[in-house]
Amino acid sequence: MRGTNAHLDPPAYHPVQVRQTFNPPPLHYMPMAQQQYPPPPPPSQPAEAPAPRKKIDWPQPVRNYVQRSFEPQNLLDDVPRSEMEVKLKATITSATDSNTLETIDWDNLPLPQQMIRAERAQAAISWQQESVDLRMGGNGPINTRDVNLKKRKSQEIGGDEDSNSHPPWRTTNNRNALEDRITFDKRQQPFHDDTHKGTSKFQKNLEKRQKRFDGGYKSTYKASPSPEPTSGPVVGTCQVLEKQYFRLTSAPNPSQVRPEPILRQTLDLLKKKWKKEGNYGYICDQFKSMRQDLTVQRIKNEFTVTVYEIHARIALEKGDLGEYNQCQTQLRALYAQKLGGNPVEFKAYRILYFIHTSNRTALNDVLADLTTAEKEEKAIKHALDVRSALALGNYHRFFRLYLDTPNMGAYLMDMFVVRERLAALSNICKAYKPDVKLRFITEELGFESDGDAAQFICDHNGQHLLEEKDDGLRFISGKAGQIFEAAKSQAFRKVDIKGQI
Amino acid sequence: MDPIFDDFRKAYEEGNGYDLSMTLSPVDPDDQPDRLYKFFRSTNFAQVKKDLQYRILYDNAAPFKLPAEEGNGWVEVYLAYWKAVGEILNAENAPKSNAKTSWTKVYDSWKEMTNALIRGYTNCGFEAWTVPCLYVAGKYMRIFAIKADEATGASAGSVNNFQDDFNPEAEKNEKLEDAARQLNRIFTICLSDRAPLEESRKWGIYNIINLLFKTYFKLNSISLSKNILKAIQAYRGDMPTLDAFPKAHQVTFKYYVGVIYFLEENYEESEKNLTEAWQLCHKDAIRNKELILTYLIPCHLLTTHTLPTQALLSPYPRLQRLFLPLSRCIKKGDLSGFDAALVAGEDEFVKRRIYLTLERGRDIALRNLLRKVFIAGGFEDAKDANTPPVRRTRIPVAEFGAAISLGSKETMDSDEVECLLANMIYKNLMKGYIARERGIVVLSKGGAFPGTGV
Repeated sequence: MRGTNAHLDPPAYHPVQVRQTFNPPPLHYMPMAQQQYPPPPPPSQPAEAPAPRKKIDWPQPVRNYVQRSFEPQNLLDDVPRSEMEVKLKATITSATDSNTLETIDWDNLPLPQQMIRAERAQAAISWQQESVDLRMGGNGPINTRDVNLKKRKSQEIGGDEDSNSHPPWRTTNNRNALEDRITFDKRQQPFHDDTHKGTSKFQKNLEKRQKRFDGGYKSTYKASPSPEPTSGPVVGTCQVLEKQYFRLTSAPNPSQVRPEPILRQTLDLLKKKWKKEGNYGYICDQFKSMRQDLTVQRIKNEFTVTVYEIHARIALEKGDLGEYNQCQTQLRALYAQKLGGNPVEFKAYRILYFIHTSNRTALNDVLADLTTAEKEEKAIKHALDVRSALALGNYHRFFRLYLDTPNMGAYLMDMFVVRERLAALSNICKAYKPDVKLRFITEELGFESDGDAAQFICDHNGQHLLEEKDDGLRFISGKAGQIFEAAKSQAFRKVDIKGQI
Repeated sequence: MDPIFDDFRKAYEEGNGYDLSMTLSPVDPDDQPDRLYKFFRSTNFAQVKKDLQYRILYDNAAPFKLPAEEGNGWVEVYLAYWKAVGEILNAENAPKSNAKTSWTKVYDSWKEMTNALIRGYTNCGFEAWTVPCLYVAGKYMRIFAIKADEATGASAGSVNNFQDDFNPEAEKNEKLEDAARQLNRIFTICLSDRAPLEESRKWGIYNIINLLFKTYFKLNSISLSKNILKAIQAYRGDMPTLDAFPKAHQVTFKYYVGVIYFLEENYEESEKNLTEAWQLCHKDAIRNKELILTYLIPCHLLTTHTLPTQALLSPYPRLQRLFLPLSRCIKKGDLSGFDAALVAGEDEFVKRRIYLTLERGRDIALRNLLRKVFIAGGFEDAKDANTPPVRRTRIPVAEFGAAISLGSKETMDSDEVECLLANMIYKNLMKGYIARERGIVVLSKGGAFPGTGV
């Protein structure tokens, strides 16, 4: 490695100066260092700012410590350099802040990479404990998760917090062996709490990232050098039904992947939970982790289809188009392999969805994919009729079809029925003079009642077009001018295709 | 090896890029059916580099001397070419079972050759007149990629991506997507050349763009073509205008741009580009003209409501089959005939991506039918003999309804008939209004059906 100077150059310590200006410590790593490593005694006068950093003449032991940290033989494979630097910085900063630069036994202080490893091991243990608790308790992660979320929030607004709400990688666990060897100074606690306030977005992202790396689901596997990526599919060994979703950043660990028999049980469990609790956030998360497990194990069979179908239906019901689309893409490929499931139902949804997004290219592709037999299937025929009714401007037929939609297609049609009503109204206003019965609008545009139709007209500033006459409420189409036309162009402008929740 | 390098020297001497590019062709010329085989067998892995260096750099018999850097660049290109030829010969003779690996190898080795060429331009000072070599490289890269993907079929892709879901598309077109990226690199080295125009690689740009379009269409990612159009729009100040390029490049380019607009439903722009392509197209390029007309005819139907004449279609039996039945029904205003013709041609229309456009021709058929009803209505009783006769402009909805239901087995209910009439009025195909309470349509006295003479 390079000489001491390279690492003691001012730039390496720049953040230290910055930190002086802004009161809250920038990173949350520091308290860990303080709790675990005894040397820096509590600052005698923490409020008083030490002398400007620039003038500090680093003591030789500190220089040596830094140098040792970066010596190749001391580097650890599983600790990224960036993380190490942050840790190193934090250690020295805290020592400087507490004026203990001279007193710390730098020669025997663990190197930053060793600290990081120790923290990880600790996090793993506490996480494991947590997951054991979950398994024992009847509530399951659903509640815990909510609790955590709430807690996270309260943390943000600077409220009080208890140690349970700490993310696992931060938790100080008294059972920890390392901890036992360390004298822990209670007086550091307030300082500790301080670090959690002002959770900036940046910091949250950092937490998230951190979580992926060391906390999270990977850590039941303690001796954790991640397994060599294998060329074949993973075969999972995990026996736990529920699993939180994390995006993979490295090859999956078999002990964290649930094999198909377990996944089948998971699906049953989730179906029950969805019926009982209807918590979409939880369900979506669980389904994503199921899909991930299926993918990494390359399981493609009827069960896979079922998982995607159920997730797609739930997402559709909740209007989560992002997830819905991901599932649909997969289903399309899975159906192409003739693995069973309900291809007719979902192909019909596809057509309706592309009508919603006005995606002509995709519509054309769908038409190209359909067989003659499929075109005669009820749901698909319905969707195709919807398409052609709209293409020909036949709103009369469109709204008849809308009122008679098979399966869950109405969720999709609801997404574009408003704009089609506006289109039809523009049409009617240009073609009918002088007026029509409101009842006619109600019937033609598939409203449930005259009241709904009137409300719709009023919602688009058409109050003045409604008039009470002898034979009931009338809609003066001849005087509407461009109001529905304008609303229509607005509604057709651009459909946000992703629509992620 | 000699025939290739005789050609190489000759082309270099004359500065003939197209002849030069033929020395890199992966296909035997007609007059030398075993040129590739002989070339490959004329040397071996141990000797090939030396042989190439000798022929390109040190041959004293050559009438000119290449700068060492440029010469070495060509040695690399031909070295990669020689290896690729080996793979091609191998793949062509390989048994079916090995097709997958051998075409993948062909693609990879051809990509190596292309990379050597690209390096030649970026590092070794290859001159702009040699760009046809890039055309050949790009053209066959696309072809080999398709072959490799076809051979790969449904076999499993790599497992080591950490996606949550499978990516079915990527697995199917792995090599072709890669080819698109390589073509994009070629596009970039042509576009970003800062040499003066006379000796700029920019002259290669439209050929490469056309290859890219072709690839994007095949990949079904037509939207990517728009990026290319944006890029050349941004560079337009430093570029020769399109009409300065070879006509072949122009025609293909305009054709693709026309189709892209067509798919975006921008029929005016589409018509403009396709018409230009049509006019520039070589008169004997029947196949190309047929392709252009495939989109130009539906375009015309929507923009000007005109149908193709018998004379226009006569040289193209395929187009006749495609368009004549529909045209006849539109002309007659035969709605049920139109629907039947649309169903009958659906597969072909969908394949050509013109189904959704042609479907809208139904409006014209309907307009023609309603116009017939109007004309059949005759004239109002003249009040006095001197005024010109006035057509009957108050027509019961039921009369239109009867016409619309002609030929179909069921009668359309009057609300739906009104809906269709409202559409005609809304789209300005018919002028007038519906008086619902009285059940009549009041048509305009002056031009009830704009543009049709009544």
